[in-house]
Amino acid sequence: MLYAIEINNLYKQYKGALAPAVNGLSLKVKKNQVVGLLGPNGAGKTTSINIMCGLIMPDEGNVQLLGKDAIKETQEVRKVIGVVPQQIALFPHLTARENLNYIGSMYGLEKKVMRERINNYLQEFGLEKHGDKRIIHYSGGMKRRANIIASLLHDPELLILDEPTAGVDIHSRAMIIEFIIKYKQQGKTILYTSHLLEEAQKVCDEVVIIDEGKYIAGGETKELIKETNNCHSLEEVFLHYTGKVLRD
Amino acid sequence: MLLLLLMPAVLIIVMALVQDAPFKSYKDLRFDLLVADNDNGTLSRDIIKGLKQSKNFHVIDSVKGEALNDAILKQLLLKGEYKIGIVIPKGATAEIVNLNNIIANNISEKIGLGNTLPVRNTRDSMYIKIYFDPVTQPTFRTMIHAGLDKYITYASTNMLVTRLSQLGKAGNDTSQANAKDLKKVFTGLGIKEEAVNDNIKEVLHINSVQHNVPAWAIFGMFFIVVPLASHLLREREEGSALRLSLIPNSQTSLALGRIIFYTIVCTVQFIIMFCIGLWLMPVFGLPALTLGMHPWILLPIAICISFAATSFGTFIGSVFKSSNQALPFGSIAIVILSAIGGIWIPVEILPETMQRLANISPLRWGLAAINEIILRDGNFAAVIKYLAALLSFGIVLWLISVYRNKMRNQSLQ
Repeated sequence: MLYAIEINNLYKQYKGALAPAVNGLSLKVKKNQVVGLLGPNGAGKTTSINIMCGLIMPDEGNVQLLGKDAIKETQEVRKVIGVVPQQIALFPHLTARENLNYIGSMYGLEKKVMRERINNYLQEFGLEKHGDKRIIHYSGGMKRRANIIASLLHDPELLILDEPTAGVDIHSRAMIIEFIIKYKQQGKTILYTSHLLEEAQKVCDEVVIIDEGKYIAGGETKELIKETNNCHSLEEVFLHYTGKVLRD
Repeated sequence: MLLLLLMPAVLIIVMALVQDAPFKSYKDLRFDLLVADNDNGTLSRDIIKGLKQSKNFHVIDSVKGEALNDAILKQLLLKGEYKIGIVIPKGATAEIVNLNNIIANNISEKIGLGNTLPVRNTRDSMYIKIYFDPVTQPTFRTMIHAGLDKYITYASTNMLVTRLSQLGKAGNDTSQANAKDLKKVFTGLGIKEEAVNDNIKEVLHINSVQHNVPAWAIFGMFFIVVPLASHLLREREEGSALRLSLIPNSQTSLALGRIIFYTIVCTVQFIIMFCIGLWLMPVFGLPALTLGMHPWILLPIAICISFAATSFGTFIGSVFKSSNQALPFGSIAIVILSAIGGIWIPVEILPETMQRLANISPLRWGLAAINEIILRDGNFAAVIKYLAALLSFGIVLWLISVYRNKMRNQSLQ
């Protein structure tokens, strides 16, 4: 099993939508890579991620995650992947520790292992002093970090992060980037979306650019920049492929 | 959570106390009654004596040592100090004696006694006048009318008995009943209420506690709709619902877990409300709740009501997109369903159309099932149709909610 993610001819059109959100998307992501899934607003990034984690059923196509069918074996796939959604997906009136204990127990983790992981991650993400504070009282950056920890407790092989650094302070962003690199070093695969292309260029081994639900370009980040005419950065590559027309 | 249990408890106590008087039969109440006796004859004395002996009226025939007359009586009523007053007109006794003599003479003639009592022509328009404080409710007026009528009839009958007895003595006819025997004839056939169920000794009556405890307990249970729908919407708005849907557990089992939890909460609420009815209501001077001969059936009824209420809350929380829509709808829907379902006023005294409409309310099904047990001493077979209705209602709404949640991500809205 060479690939962590294999998507074939994925198609999804929402009820009431004029155009498909994902339109025949195919891509492959090798294991132990940090891969950036890039695209303008409405390109189909979040829909693709939602299909991968079983939140949305595609109209056509198939998705294999770590060799498992993400559409038919959703529950099995969820055991081995971690998803950090764009939205803060925590119980705001519980403390970070209470949230993590509850989520860990839902994954069936042993109490001792869970306690150890929670303490380690709280420390790693700089939240050890705030573990007993309610999420509602956290700053935006702290919420983002706690949101990531909640997706890591079951030690997933594949981590999918949907704009994890959107709207966070510089220190939190640096911490998240550092974590992504470190997590990859543990042999894990990371799929990550962002509008911050400078950040993506720094972090991603490979990038995939999609637009209007279709694959546009992809490859090793450095190679892609080199191969694209007159481009010296990922941002230039992105604009080269997606154009300069504003998207809503 | 404490509020969820405390507020319905306060509600049922307040409602039972507030509605205690309207639920009481008039024979259980005692009213101040102003009496102006312009007659001063046997009839008025008999009426006043009867009223004084009754438990319903406290007769007031003088104020500050001054005997009441028509004018003073009206003034007191207009001031609102008293609610009811009667004026016995001058010559009432003479008129009733004359009427009774006519009746007695007729009877005497028919049975061949041959004796006659003196009579004159009858007068028209001789009434015992009754006055009410203008704010008095029509139902209260009717009740008082009926009560007074009873005493007037009794006094008149008493006089007639005396007349007939006099005729009997005048004719030296020993076969005629004496006055005491004749009284027995008039009072021999009385009315005694007994229980319809031969197995129980006491007659079960609807009273403030028997109605309000189950009715408002059900209302309180259904009000779980508001916190439950709010909780579901908040979970969606705040993102915790998303986290739950990312965890490798069946969404159906999560939804089922939520239903079971809230059903248990509602059932506990029901048990607490009934305990208040049993043991706390008497502390407030109200009758204790009686549970009938099969109280254990109340538990499955409580579970079915709780399930229906919880499913309704889940449904509201699933079909609406925001708290601004769901919460007013949920609370107003409960108030409407409770009003048509006989929570506020027993269905039995509602107009026929409303009685038919009541059958669409799940609160009505719950209350009817409880009434079967605590008022009619029914068994499990008597409530099974209500339980089936509550369960079906709950299952249908729950399935719609599960489907709605599953489909939510499939559309743009």
